[in-house]
Amino acid sequence: MVRLENVGKRYGNSAEILQDVTVTLDPGGFYFLTGVSGAGKTTLLKIIYLAERVSHGTVTVFDTDTAAVDRRAQSALRRRIGIVFQDFRLIEHLSVRDNVALPLRIAGAPEREIRENVPELLSWLGLGDKADLRPTTLSGGEQQRVAIARAIVRRPDLLLADEPTGNVDDEIAMLLVRVFERINRLGTTVLIATHDVAFARQFAHERFHLERGVLTVDTGFEDFA
Amino acid sequence: MTGGWTIGPRLDLPLGCDPTGRFLPWIIALMVYLTVLGGVGLMLLGDTLGEWNQSLQTTMTVQLPADSSTGRIETAVAVLKQTPGVALVHLLGADETARLIAPWLGPDVSVDSLPLPHLVDVHLEPDANLDLAALKKKLMQVDPGAELADHRSALLELRGFAVKVEGLIGAVVAIVAVLLVLTVVFIARTGLAIHQPVVELLHLLGAPDRYIARQFQTHALWLGLRGGVIGAIAAAMTIVVLGRAAAAVSLPVAAPGLLDWRPWALLIAAAIAAGLVAMATARATIAHRLARMP
Repeated sequence: MVRLENVGKRYGNSAEILQDVTVTLDPGGFYFLTGVSGAGKTTLLKIIYLAERVSHGTVTVFDTDTAAVDRRAQSALRRRIGIVFQDFRLIEHLSVRDNVALPLRIAGAPEREIRENVPELLSWLGLGDKADLRPTTLSGGEQQRVAIARAIVRRPDLLLADEPTGNVDDEIAMLLVRVFERINRLGTTVLIATHDVAFARQFAHERFHLERGVLTVDTGFEDFA
Repeated sequence: MTGGWTIGPRLDLPLGCDPTGRFLPWIIALMVYLTVLGGVGLMLLGDTLGEWNQSLQTTMTVQLPADSSTGRIETAVAVLKQTPGVALVHLLGADETARLIAPWLGPDVSVDSLPLPHLVDVHLEPDANLDLAALKKKLMQVDPGAELADHRSALLELRGFAVKVEGLIGAVVAIVAVLLVLTVVFIARTGLAIHQPVVELLHLLGAPDRYIARQFQTHALWLGLRGGVIGAIAAAMTIVVLGRAAAAVSLPVAAPGLLDWRPWALLIAAAIAAGLVAMATARATIAHRLARMP
């Protein structure tokens, strides 16, 4: 599904943000990526969703070497990836419904399909009565769920979530992970980046830990409930 | 798009809120207005020239001195009638001459008291190939004071003038078209810069360049058509007013007829063309800029 091999990343002459990172995400897997703020988690996710190029190493996404793809192929790869951005990146002038429908419209889905699927998904995430509102009128937690809905509406092959539990309380955070697990059971590979190591250790999923650009496998289960 | 009623197509990018695009319909309206009026002007000029061409190429006037004897006049008329290519020869009577000068001297003037030349209207066959120099020579042999008014040289001057006017109107229309293109390029580039974060988001969600370009071209088409319709309506009103005013007075040019389909076809074509030019320009501009993005 996703393979990073000896990947390094640096901006200009700065120190390497990622150092020889090698990791494989298998189809249908569920992974946590932990590390403190600034450890390189977002950069690693950006490399996977082709928003950043590596300084060295190879990145393979859906069996495609990302260094060799042209713009059209890049768009096609991205359409198979759902992304929950740390800052949500909702479009303010669009309603919640239209924000969530965006990946479907980009993929050329018929409006009938959009009218059927989007309200159902919003209801599932507890946003059924918010469909016509603008994102700016929602709370942080609600905006986060809209961002999640947009990321999963097309049932992507790969779901990348950057700090999806960062702005919500523990109860909502737990609920969101359960949502991701349900998506995962439908066949989507999930990678969640979080600074909260203890939170990630509550779940029986594979964990990688980034520290000063070095990726290690986190095998600690002492906090696992 | 929800949360408020807006006119126009649904767009992921809030292009309708851009202050730069707000004036585009009015700019396009002005351009369409000028183009349509310029085009109608070209039509009128063409029609007028055509009419003049038709009448002047097939008629000429022979002028004999006021003191010409009846015999000389009859001989001159006979010479004209015998000339190959001449279809009709008509010596103007005193009452016809009086009608000709009435606009200048009044209807009650007695032509007998004036030293007016004798005028002979000569109508030529459509494809007549007259040797005017030889005819003039023959007429002068009849009466040395005979004059042959050939309208062709005047026609050539008129044609030269018309070509210049056509060139001028064409240049104005071309400048208008270039201005339209430059305005749309500016607005498209500005829109892309203003909405860079949303464009980037759409890219990250897998939108190909053509999806993003379509947003801009749809918006430009909408603005172009709006402006085109406004300009066409203004031009239509002007044509109607000018047509009515022209019908009320006698003009030496072809008046814009309200039943003539061509101005109305031009109106519709100009409005649609404005939209299409705006759309194509926006599409090309955005596609070019997006291709240079990482």
